[in-house]
Amino acid sequence: MSPSPPPSHRRRFVAGLAAALALGGGSAAFLVQSAEAERREELASRQAIAVLGALVQAVEEAGGTGDPSRDALRAWQAGQPPGVEARLVVLEGIRLEGSTAPGDAGERAAPRRLAREEKALFDQAQRLRGAVEGNREGGAPKPEVEIERLADGGRVAAAPLRVGGEVVGSVRLTLPTPPAAVAGPRLPGIGWILAAFAAFLGAAALLGERRWMLALGAAVSLVAGLWLQARAALSGLAPGAGADVTLALHAEATRALLASGGIALALLAFVGLGGLARAWRTLVENRQAYAYIAPAVLGTLVLVFFPFFYGVALGFTDSNIYNTSSPLSELWVGLRNYAAILGDFSMVRRGADGALVWNYLNFYWTFLFTVVWTITNVTFGVSFGLLLALVLDTKGLAFRPVYRVLLILPWAMPNYITALIWKGMFHRQFGVVNQVLQIFGLQPLSWFDQPFTSFLTALATNGWLSFPFMMVVSLGALQSIPADLYEAARVDGASRWQQLRAITLPSLRPALVPAVILSVVWTFNMFNIIYLVTAGAPNGATEILITQAYKFAFERYRYGYAAAYSVVIFGILLVYGWFQNRVTKATEGI
Amino acid sequence: MARRSRREEHFPHALLHAFLAAVVLFTVYPVLWVITIAFSGKQSLAIADVPPDPTALDRLRAVLPWPAQWSWANFTSVMSDQPFARWIWNSAVISIATTLVGVFLACTAAYAFSRFRFPGRRAGMMSFLVSQMFPGVLTLIPLYIIIVQWLGLGSTRLGLVVVYATTSVPFSVWMLKGYFDTIPRELEEAAIMEGAGPGTIFWRIVLPLAMPAIAITALFSFMTAWNEFILAATFMDQETMYTAPVGLRFFVGGFQQQWGYFAAGSIIVSIPVVALFLYLQKYLVSGLTAGSVKG
Repeated sequence: MSPSPPPSHRRRFVAGLAAALALGGGSAAFLVQSAEAERREELASRQAIAVLGALVQAVEEAGGTGDPSRDALRAWQAGQPPGVEARLVVLEGIRLEGSTAPGDAGERAAPRRLAREEKALFDQAQRLRGAVEGNREGGAPKPEVEIERLADGGRVAAAPLRVGGEVVGSVRLTLPTPPAAVAGPRLPGIGWILAAFAAFLGAAALLGERRWMLALGAAVSLVAGLWLQARAALSGLAPGAGADVTLALHAEATRALLASGGIALALLAFVGLGGLARAWRTLVENRQAYAYIAPAVLGTLVLVFFPFFYGVALGFTDSNIYNTSSPLSELWVGLRNYAAILGDFSMVRRGADGALVWNYLNFYWTFLFTVVWTITNVTFGVSFGLLLALVLDTKGLAFRPVYRVLLILPWAMPNYITALIWKGMFHRQFGVVNQVLQIFGLQPLSWFDQPFTSFLTALATNGWLSFPFMMVVSLGALQSIPADLYEAARVDGASRWQQLRAITLPSLRPALVPAVILSVVWTFNMFNIIYLVTAGAPNGATEILITQAYKFAFERYRYGYAAAYSVVIFGILLVYGWFQNRVTKATEGI
Repeated sequence: MARRSRREEHFPHALLHAFLAAVVLFTVYPVLWVITIAFSGKQSLAIADVPPDPTALDRLRAVLPWPAQWSWANFTSVMSDQPFARWIWNSAVISIATTLVGVFLACTAAYAFSRFRFPGRRAGMMSFLVSQMFPGVLTLIPLYIIIVQWLGLGSTRLGLVVVYATTSVPFSVWMLKGYFDTIPRELEEAAIMEGAGPGTIFWRIVLPLAMPAIAITALFSFMTAWNEFILAATFMDQETMYTAPVGLRFFVGGFQQQWGYFAAGSIIVSIPVVALFLYLQKYLVSGLTAGSVKG
């Protein structure tokens, strides 16, 4: 490292304060302005709903449909500013009952049948009727008024039209763009920011290079400047109409301002105390290395790590297909998903006829099934693979390479194809498996109707494609055992069985243990086989955890619940990994 | 050899051959079955029609993997009447783009991890390793929200390429870093003496030397993308944008029972990967176990 002149604390704090004030002041101005805009939007919506309410009342008092309703509509329109339009839609007969829209004159004058391109109006009326009826029956509450913001700032609001308590159509109101707000100062309170900065410049000139005094002075200037600016800006949120809206916004904006102030303070500390200089030096010294890893790191940050943490966060929400655009904080439900998954022990109950009825959607059933599935598969794979490896390892066996290639074939096939092939072979009517059963005089089976036989189909498929891996691993390990060991054993009079126990199996251990660990994880997560062969048939009985999580996400669209489910799976794998690690270490010590 | 024969006298080779033949029958049968259906020229999944009152011989005929008539019809019509050619094209474009992007990202990162010492190096390598333990479904939901709902890249090739390429990076980086570590540094030092810059060293010296490892990594990347099913099935809604795996499932999933198309398509899709796999399998085994079997 080349010697550099001692850094100037004063310069750093001045730069740090400038950056922090710019960040804090800028974000405060932005926050207050967007709060103001939000308030205007909210007030416009409220106004639209109020106007709509009056209109609906007028129309309903006039009978809701027919000429009286049109008269009421016209009378109401007379008292409205220009640009306001109202339309009455009646579901029965898909009619436009009345309209004050300038476009609905002449040939298109109401009452008339709705045109094809006006289908959205009809759909909306139906939606509103559905919402009203659903709310009456006590389902999940749905809004009984629809409001939509137009691109020019105007509003379209629609409410159900009732006649005799029943929804017969909708009232749809279009409001023009509200008058533009009086433009306030673009950067309210900017003077306070500049004053704080100037004050610190003056103080710094007096303080010289005294580091902690400078830090204190800069922090005080920052806090004072931002506080004064925020107060000035917030007072611009005049409590006009809708004081409650303003108040709520005030509280929200204050929280956001506090957060941005905290960030600005951190920035000041980072720059002023030399963190930035150090980070910059590191970056410059290793610029080559960082340039080389930057693309990969950026890519994985965005599409591997961010999704992971986002998924964990989703697990604490009730996110589903309808609300993915809302921020997660609005959907937060805490640990409710986990409680629903892990706290539900109703795996089995007595049916009406006294028989046991399994609840296949229960987490513990699926977990139990996954464990059974993993253990049977790995046991089968290891024993069969090992047996084949021992046979193939026989010295002087003819056609060994041919056997080896043919036996490896299942591993080479794409596993989704394997799965679909086996699904075809287990077909109830045309599948070859049932044909073979019938050759031996047995009855054909409906394989996917019973949990056990359904499990057997998946087991056969996975067994078929997973033993070659174990075979290849064992074969490689077998061939690396020195022949002298066996010779020595024979000289000592060891039988073949003893040789297998004392030499072969212990020598296979270092290769087999990692292979078993890998294959446990693979089988535990063997999505394609279960998803494509049994698809959980019957009724989700043969679902493993990972396919169950997938179905919660993409068939039932419960993203939050499915994310929590996946986190639980991740937890199980972590516990397994930790446990496996300990067991392996412990046995290695012996 | 003479002494070893004593060991084998317990197991006559004929017995071993019989056992192996039985197992080979078990492993090869599904493959023969799919070939039979593909060349049968029909969509049925029955190899032969069984008469109403079948004898054991009729049943045996229905099991024997030999089509009643050999025909290329399934192959020609799956490629022309069905959109399968387009699905293969989608798969090929996606897999090749994934391989190029993924291997490029992995090469540069692996080179830096292997050759430079910089703050964050260990943390970076470890986080790549840990990312391999993330369960697929957990990241799948956010990826779906990001790619389809936020970026609007559902049913596009770009969406899948971006996801495949980045998710393959950690594994590829570990594979390649191991190989870069074995390339002697003296070569690069000599090049520096000759006045070569870092860019020249990377492109002209290290990459050519690492070609074998890069080729293997690229082939694995390609095969992974070519065989991927879940993400493609989740992201690709429109039929024209299906990849080959999603398309094959489409033939026999749900209400369709076009087993002939499925079988012919499966063979077309499998041949390249099966050949590649048989060629590459020795690297695969050593690569998979090398990390965990350290001495």
